[in-house]
Amino acid sequence: MFQPASLKGDSPTPIDERVRNKYIIIYLIIIILSFIPCSIFEYGYIRYLWIEGFYLLFFLLLPFNFIIFIYLLQLSAILFSLLSLIIIQLIFSPKEGNFSRDVKDKNYLFWNLRNISKKWALFISASNPFPWLKNRFTLRFFGVKIGKKTFCDTCWISSEFVKIGNNVIIGMGSTVLSFGIEQDKFILSKIQIEDNVVIGAKCVLLPGTIVKRGAKLSIHSYTRIKDVLVENSIYLGHPAKLKED
Amino acid sequence: MEQPDNSQSNIEYISTSGAFKTPFTLIILLQFFIGYTVALLINIWFYNDLYFLLTGQKFLPFVLIGQWWEWLLLPLNLYGNIFLFVFSTILFAAGINKVLNRLCPPKEGKFNRGSKEWKYTHRRFWNAYFPIWLARAIPIPWSDIFVYRLFGVPIGKNVVAYEGYIDPELIEIGDFTMTSLNICIFSHLIYNEHIIIKKVKIGKGCVVGPQSIVSPGTVMQDGAILGANSYTWIDQELMGDLIHVGTPVSMNFPIQSVEESLEKAERIKGDNFENMKGDEKK
Repeated sequence: MFQPASLKGDSPTPIDERVRNKYIIIYLIIIILSFIPCSIFEYGYIRYLWIEGFYLLFFLLLPFNFIIFIYLLQLSAILFSLLSLIIIQLIFSPKEGNFSRDVKDKNYLFWNLRNISKKWALFISASNPFPWLKNRFTLRFFGVKIGKKTFCDTCWISSEFVKIGNNVIIGMGSTVLSFGIEQDKFILSKIQIEDNVVIGAKCVLLPGTIVKRGAKLSIHSYTRIKDVLVENSIYLGHPAKLKED
Repeated sequence: MEQPDNSQSNIEYISTSGAFKTPFTLIILLQFFIGYTVALLINIWFYNDLYFLLTGQKFLPFVLIGQWWEWLLLPLNLYGNIFLFVFSTILFAAGINKVLNRLCPPKEGKFNRGSKEWKYTHRRFWNAYFPIWLARAIPIPWSDIFVYRLFGVPIGKNVVAYEGYIDPELIEIGDFTMTSLNICIFSHLIYNEHIIIKKVKIGKGCVVGPQSIVSPGTVMQDGAILGANSYTWIDQELMGDLIHVGTPVSMNFPIQSVEESLEKAERIKGDNFENMKGDEKK
């Protein structure tokens, strides 16, 4: 909603510095390629609408030009990110499990590479000034299953190993993390959020959490790793515990 | 006088503030277009005048002034167009907000999904979405306070209210109050199939600590301090001149002067030192 730029609900895509220094070229290529459709569009706009005597039409349609530019940039960013993501996933397919946090471990290295290829598209869609086709739209391209009428544009959601059902409300500033780092270990574990779940503001779901149908998590609480929240119940606290009447 | 409905405060969990997407979001396109048109008209007038000054010919058949001082506006034009666009959008949105308030004034209470209040709350939210986004995108730190005041949220003098989320209705913030990074001040909650709306009052000289959440119905008296990483339950009242912490708020401490806290620290350090000495002797 009206969050300032620092809290805009980007998807968390941390990248190890050792990997970033080596493979930054992938990120730069994606950015440059994603501007090409936009420049073609702008060329066409100027070429066909800058007509002698009808300059006013050119200026009156400029706001629509701006809106189309933003969404074209977002779509082409998704397209090129998706292409590089598919290539990276063909080389090494993502797996759940506990790995060591070392660049020599292929799981950790390719997790970083996947983050590099997704970062630009997720950043562009989170910085979009309009409320349409934001994070939910982009995350669906990257294999996150998000159901209908789900309300999740103002929170941080990991871009893989997450499944969200229908009619879910995820609160403002909540974090859904499917990865975790603990000392020299690196954890990737799937998060499942079933239908009609409500997660309050500023909650943290740690990797492996399963939130069953109709469960409610009150504000400012976090779940433990591989926690299971029971159906139609209310959870609260640090870490979240079942609320008894 | 109506009796206050106690069933509102008997809620089991606190969810979140926010608004579902409705077709009314298209109002943003209208705001965008109006703001742009104002900026465009002023630019056409300005460049038409400059063209007349330079060549003596009319670019467009408008009323011309053609004064020398219009050259002085040129640097302002280069950067000021952004501000012109932003503030005309904000003023237009504030006008729509007044119309919406006239049609259905913001009320406290518990409303069903699909009721008139539900609809109009969503409309007011989506109307405020784009202006507040713009105000926070331009490099003036107090521009969002200006927007909130225009939208009918009474924010006092010398208030720090940026880098956090504040609902655009039914909130009162007094003078010299400070809100920190990543705070949420909610005046409405989505609760099951209802929407709960309650007024939040924050007094003079309060501090809302970083990462904290202020729930609907909270009253912070003058000089109350909400500690970092804590939140208030619905209808909680925070006494003035005390520090409140807890999730939800359950403890309070008196505010100490720097000398007092230093003295305490010295005493604790001294005790520890003696204990350590005692350990060595043993």
